[in-house]
Amino acid sequence: MNIINTISKSLALFAVIGTLGLAPIASAHEGDCPYCKMKLVQNTKEQDNEVVLKTGNKRIEYRCMYCVIKDQGRYKGDLVVYAPSEKVGEPVVLKRTGGKWAAPEGAVFLNTFKKHADCAALSRAFSSKAAFDAYVAKHKVEGAKALTFAEFAEAVTKPAK
Amino acid sequence: MKAITLLGITAIASLGLAQDHSGHQMAGMKKQTELPAMPRDMPAWLAAPGADHLFYKAAPYNWAINRIPKFAKDMYATGVGHAMAYEALVRGEASTLETKTFDTINWVLKNQPAMPVDEGAISPTFLRKYGYLEKVFDWAHTLHFQTIDVFAHPGWTDEQKEKEIERLWAFYEAQPYAITGLPMNMDYLDSFSYSMKFRTDYPKVNGLFWGYHWLQTVNYDMLYRVPVKDQAPQYEVLGARYHETELYKTDRDFMPMTAEMSPRFAKRFPQIANAFDNLHMLHDNVNDILAQPQLTEAQKQEQVKIAIYRVLATTHISETPGESEGKENSLHDHRHPPSMPGMGWMKGSEDDIMWMSGMGWMDMSACSHCSIPMPEGNPWGATVSAEGWTMMVRCLMCARDMAGETPGRAIIRAATNDPNRLLVLISDEEGNWTSNIDGIVFLEKYGEHPECSGWSRAFTTLAALEKYVSENPEYKDTKPLNLAEWAALNHGTPDTYRKIDKPNPYKPGPPPAKGGGR
Repeated sequence: MNIINTISKSLALFAVIGTLGLAPIASAHEGDCPYCKMKLVQNTKEQDNEVVLKTGNKRIEYRCMYCVIKDQGRYKGDLVVYAPSEKVGEPVVLKRTGGKWAAPEGAVFLNTFKKHADCAALSRAFSSKAAFDAYVAKHKVEGAKALTFAEFAEAVTKPAK
Repeated sequence: MKAITLLGITAIASLGLAQDHSGHQMAGMKKQTELPAMPRDMPAWLAAPGADHLFYKAAPYNWAINRIPKFAKDMYATGVGHAMAYEALVRGEASTLETKTFDTINWVLKNQPAMPVDEGAISPTFLRKYGYLEKVFDWAHTLHFQTIDVFAHPGWTDEQKEKEIERLWAFYEAQPYAITGLPMNMDYLDSFSYSMKFRTDYPKVNGLFWGYHWLQTVNYDMLYRVPVKDQAPQYEVLGARYHETELYKTDRDFMPMTAEMSPRFAKRFPQIANAFDNLHMLHDNVNDILAQPQLTEAQKQEQVKIAIYRVLATTHISETPGESEGKENSLHDHRHPPSMPGMGWMKGSEDDIMWMSGMGWMDMSACSHCSIPMPEGNPWGATVSAEGWTMMVRCLMCARDMAGETPGRAIIRAATNDPNRLLVLISDEEGNWTSNIDGIVFLEKYGEHPECSGWSRAFTTLAALEKYVSENPEYKDTKPLNLAEWAALNHGTPDTYRKIDKPNPYKPGPPPAKGGGR
């Protein structure tokens, strides 16, 4: 029995290796954003990019904060959103409880992308205005304005002209 | 006389093109430029004007579909929608299809008939002109309904139902109007000069048709080996999805295939899955022919007959599933993905790798969540249905976590320790699961994914779990989980998951920036 198990496990591993030969190796969590359908942008050593929304037992990844706010209407229950910030591993945690959003004090948001392909870099959260300024300067973001969460949500949800 | 001779020469010259065309295997076939020509061995009944109406096999299960009332009414409405669109097409009212006819069909889909409606009463012109086609459609639709009736019938064991499904197939196949149960090359069947016309010019109505095909194929895994009491609750999820989304999708790359929507059923009854797909492809061919304004009435009649001929069982006698016998990309190409005999050959397919609309490139032999090959034998794993798709996975953990990273409600159908008891889990929008088996317990000792079907399992009783643990002492310290404890776990996307990154074969050009994978 153990021998059979070992062989079948080996075969499974062998098959996985075979699959690796067929397809390019992808990082974990690779997939598409449920809202914009574009590929999720992976975290790097220097910067987190995946926006994680938790509702009940679901844990759903989005491409950017804009997509989360745009798609929030489909969720009836409370939400927790882990928005990547300027610090790796230290997201800005947003909560929607009873339909009301709450953001950490001092958190500011950037929302300046013109093409959706740029959303992960230009629709982001920061733990402070100083962090926002540093990011904008480093990436030479034009027309950047630090928004409170309420301003950010309003900008995202306002009807297109 | 000259015209007849010319027609004959043209027919003979293009016969090979029509029936044995070879195309470009990897990139998909090129569209043919000539109209297919009439084959020499056309069955005589295609020229007979009689109604020759066939009816249900007499059986105690007939109309058991009505035990799932919402589903039954939605199925009855699909026939009305088809008939209305065909009537508009043959009466020269194609210009109303996307507006007035769409609105009328849509009204019926929301206000469904309580019983099947005779399509002849809705589409008399179509029936008068294409009665031979209606015989083929009607007979296949009867198979659709009777197979559903068998599964929805209470009081029979799964084994009795499976035997009866096989008898139904034999009953169906014995008639001249039967569609072949062989897998067909879908790329070839969609490569004619008229192909894709309907979906291009009438995307909204085509969306409805493909939405019907979604419903007509997604239901089989909802029913197959599922206790009757557990069927209707699943339709609460699937029916909502059908009405809210699937009917109105206009961005599908291809029609929904049975094995995509109901992989368990398609694996068990490949001949029926193939017949349904071939039927649906015939629908597409007919739509395209009738939507071609430059074809004369006689040409339309002829092309519809040729389209019927292509998929009839009598055209493929003695041919073998899985074989192409050197006739790849032709009418007699019956290849299928090695692990899925209930699926024809699709555009760009390579063995088990195929493009699934909305999911991207998928490997049907592997778990959709962890990319490890599916286990053989029992436990066979599970399926996950969410967002309109149904995917095979290796274990309960893969099923839960795949559903957990997908917005919306979901259904898991999974093997348990008892081969005769299928676990059906239904989740709400927040991933809270309900089970069809009271007291279901789970084993989950997170470890290496290639072994996940060993350490992530469901048991109908605690005693069954304890027996498994006693036989597999490596799990002796693992705490059994109840449904709520199990549902609260989430290990995310496994590191073994591999996305197949290739361009969409239905949309030539560079890989799209969006989509392309799960």
